[in-house]
Amino acid sequence: MTKKSLATAALTLLALVGMSMSAMAETVVKIGNVEPLSGPSASVGQQGKNAREMAVEEINAAGGIKSLGGAKLELIYADSKSDPNVGVTETERLINTDKVNIVTGCWNSGVTYPATAVAERYGVPFVVPVSVRDTITERGFKYVFRIAAKDSWWTRDQFTFLKDMKDEFGTELKTVAFVYENGDWGTGFAAQWKTLAEEAGYEIVLDEPYPSAATDLTPVVTKIRRAKPDVLLLTSNAADAVLITNTLADYKVSPKVILGSGGGHADPTFISGTSDNSKFMFDIVEWETDVNKPGAKETNDKYKAKYGSNLTGEAVDAYVAMYVIADALERAGSLEPAKIRDALATTDLKTGPAAIVAYDSIKFDATGQNENAALAIVQINDLGQGLERITVWPKTSRRADYTPVFPMPQK
Amino acid sequence: MDLIFLLQDVINGILMGSIYGLVALGLTLVFGVLKIINFAHGSFLMVGMYVAYWIVAYTGLHPYLALFLVAPIMYFFGYQMQQWLIRPIFVAERDVREPITVIIVTTGVWYVLDNLALLLFGPDYRALSPNPLKGEMIEIGEILISTPKLFGFIITVLTAAGLYWFLLKTRMGRAIRATSLDRDAASLMGISQWKIFNVAFGIGTAIAGIAAVVLVPVYNVYPTVGVPFDVKSFVIVVLGGLGSIPGALLGGVIIGLIESIGPNFMTSTWTEAIVYGLFLLVLFFKPSGLFGQKYDW
Amino acid sequence: MTPQSFKKTGLALLVLTALALPLILRSPTYLHILIMLYLYAYMTTTWNLVGGFAGVLPLGHSVFVGIGAYTSTVLWLQWGISPWIGMLVGGCLAGFVAYLIGKPTLKMRGAYFALATMAFVEGVRVIVENVDQLGPFKLNGPRGLNIPPLPAGEGSLLAFQFATKEPYYYIILFMLMGVVYLTWRLSRSKLGYSLSAGGEEPEAAEALGVNVAKCKVTAMVLSAFLTALAGTFLAQMTLFIYPKSVLTLDLSFELAFIALIGGRGSLAGPIIGALMLRPVTEFSRIYLSATLPGMHLILLGVILIVVMLYQPRGLSEPLTRLFNRLQDRICSTKTGGAK
Repeated sequence: MTKKSLATAALTLLALVGMSMSAMAETVVKIGNVEPLSGPSASVGQQGKNAREMAVEEINAAGGIKSLGGAKLELIYADSKSDPNVGVTETERLINTDKVNIVTGCWNSGVTYPATAVAERYGVPFVVPVSVRDTITERGFKYVFRIAAKDSWWTRDQFTFLKDMKDEFGTELKTVAFVYENGDWGTGFAAQWKTLAEEAGYEIVLDEPYPSAATDLTPVVTKIRRAKPDVLLLTSNAADAVLITNTLADYKVSPKVILGSGGGHADPTFISGTSDNSKFMFDIVEWETDVNKPGAKETNDKYKAKYGSNLTGEAVDAYVAMYVIADALERAGSLEPAKIRDALATTDLKTGPAAIVAYDSIKFDATGQNENAALAIVQINDLGQGLERITVWPKTSRRADYTPVFPMPQK
Repeated sequence: MDLIFLLQDVINGILMGSIYGLVALGLTLVFGVLKIINFAHGSFLMVGMYVAYWIVAYTGLHPYLALFLVAPIMYFFGYQMQQWLIRPIFVAERDVREPITVIIVTTGVWYVLDNLALLLFGPDYRALSPNPLKGEMIEIGEILISTPKLFGFIITVLTAAGLYWFLLKTRMGRAIRATSLDRDAASLMGISQWKIFNVAFGIGTAIAGIAAVVLVPVYNVYPTVGVPFDVKSFVIVVLGGLGSIPGALLGGVIIGLIESIGPNFMTSTWTEAIVYGLFLLVLFFKPSGLFGQKYDW
Repeated sequence: MTPQSFKKTGLALLVLTALALPLILRSPTYLHILIMLYLYAYMTTTWNLVGGFAGVLPLGHSVFVGIGAYTSTVLWLQWGISPWIGMLVGGCLAGFVAYLIGKPTLKMRGAYFALATMAFVEGVRVIVENVDQLGPFKLNGPRGLNIPPLPAGEGSLLAFQFATKEPYYYIILFMLMGVVYLTWRLSRSKLGYSLSAGGEEPEAAEALGVNVAKCKVTAMVLSAFLTALAGTFLAQMTLFIYPKSVLTLDLSFELAFIALIGGRGSLAGPIIGALMLRPVTEFSRIYLSATLPGMHLILLGVILIVVMLYQPRGLSEPLTRLFNRLQDRICSTKTGGAK
């Protein structure tokens, strides 16, 4: 090989590298998001959308994915209308037509369940911020990763909370009532509550599903009033959570503990819709604005200034999902699905904006479930600045100087 | 079951049922005159609730005073709706007495209104504020009665009585009744059929507005709030007899009672099944309903 | 070219195009959209047997879709009976239910029949949502039923599951062609004539000795049987069914919309309607819902209103006129303008 040809080769190589570099600089990573943007869960879908947008703006402003030559993230949305059939169609479309590199979604467990199966079939990584149904990560799938806790952890923590509070405050809690929306989510929770309550030796005085589109919940509330439970466990969507809380207050039903399961109780409009009626209620969440994590307050302030409401646990999971994806892409250094998948599987994210979650780190187990996904329980109370949600459990995360009002005062 | 419990349930059932009846009243009036089912009735209720909500939010008026603004606005809204959307169908299908296409057009109106509300106001659940009636209860020993619902009951009775008086005693009311009985004969008598249709549709919508005002203090406002009331109203009007005013009220109360007494014996999800079951039984065995005229089906 | 042969050529071209489409259109997304389009055209054609020919407005046909979906799925999950057999069992069950419900309700007029069918589907949905187990059959209440998917890349005719979209495409295409042919034969049969006579002028038809009620019930049973087959197909496509996905008013309404937009009681109506409405709903949802939530449904509502105001008999009428004009022109030029 002559010197000249060597030089040519070197030049060509350089040009090639340069070209590929410039090509990479324009690389866009497409993230498909299947969310309920219309229909009954539109409110949650919108929050998830806002949170994703804010995260992606931050990531792109900070230079995108550096290992991919500063590739920018691009969000593509699809509306599931909370309908599994639509969710499946849209997931397929995002994968085949929009050629997305990663899919996220879908909030409604009923939609996530079949939609993740589609992604698995095509071998496209699917990051689930929140969808509680246990079985989503229990099918031996390789491409599905969930950030939030699954429903058996939610119900387990609800009962651990009750036990811890009983011990801490020396309150007798003997009877328990289950009241839940008659959907996939509520009935799933109730089935697990039943086992847990029996194990913990509670007497179940009421086990009442109700239609979540109910026009009147007075009959359910009178039933609770007559059953006189010590503990009232609720699983409600948005409109019914407000309706049931107001009706409980109207009829002066006051169990020692009212404990929600997120969802409607965590909706930003819940407190404004119920005002004083929700005071002293407890709710289980993935995240709360008062969480003792660096950056949490700033992120929430930014979000609130931008979209006008506090971050909810569900929105935080969506926000964090973007950082989990960015982190995995950074380590994968490739858009090959299998490489992204492997990078996701070895995620161990402790720092950066994603660390605002209440979890010690985000780390997926063999099934794709975030093994550190933890939950917190909050109490709604007014400390002089209007009603707010105050973290009370686990005790290690309890807001400094706050003593929970336990049991709830009788009316 | 304790007697006092039963009494409480009966009171709750009658109060809530009367509000259902008020919602259904507008639907049954429109059917009685135009012989069509307005599938957008629940959306009209939703529109009324937003109108009431915004009026109260901006002016701070007592919700019941807002009634005097909401009802005329809704009357105008319904009047124009009939003039521009429903009338052309009657014109196009002159030879059909009950054009089925109206069901489709009103369903289209339903989709447009509900989603327009979503587009304009977002999916938020809005609670009335200021709300002087929030959580107001009357206590009689063990029995608790919701004050806004009691007012709802009174407004329902007054509205129904007023409508009755209007139909029986006024000139326009008599013209409406004549048209509902035989529109061709009424036309021959010099009554303008279109004018009557517009007025009847306007009144039906105004009644939805009244129902909206009654509901706003106890209920949240959101884009799809009308849907559960829609289906319920269909059940009620068939139960009471399509086109019958006392039928709508009684139908509403029956549904209210099933919903409030039923849960003593079963979970509240099953009471829904009982309601539909009863509805089908009435359809099979007495399709004219409790008060409907045999002539109408 | 005679009008007769013109029509035949056109039809043959249409069928050939449909058969060849998967060879050109490789994208699973578009195939999926086409499959759903055919599925809706199929369900609307079977709806049309009652809603079009018998002159009433059924708003509860999703109950038959649900019966079909649930029957084949339960049989497959609990006893491993092939969905193909489950499909027929579901069809028969739906036909039986249609007989029970149709006999009393088909005597009713207009609004009453529409409301009765609506109440029936709502009632069935509420019951299914409330029971986890009906006798020996596990329905799993509101959580619904999952059909475990075969391992990735595998397909089985017996299990009615395929790795690619093409088999689904051809199955539903043949189902659609079959049901259109059946409707065509039916519309020329004694039953067909009696039905349309009974739909338009029931008193006159009765006077001529046509048992209108009996004809309507027969049409309803047939329609239910065929609709239930689509239910099984839908379940096998999505592998997941639950009460709010198959037993809903939304689905029932959509079938009625497609039929009315296309043209009730006409053979091409359901296909024209599905061709019009399905892409509009799909594409407007895809491109509009992220930026303008709910816009796709506003659009759907506006289309419904506009078509009903200007073409209350549906779009097949003006399209037929257009087709006839085209046919006249082509046939007349070929035969030298002779009429």
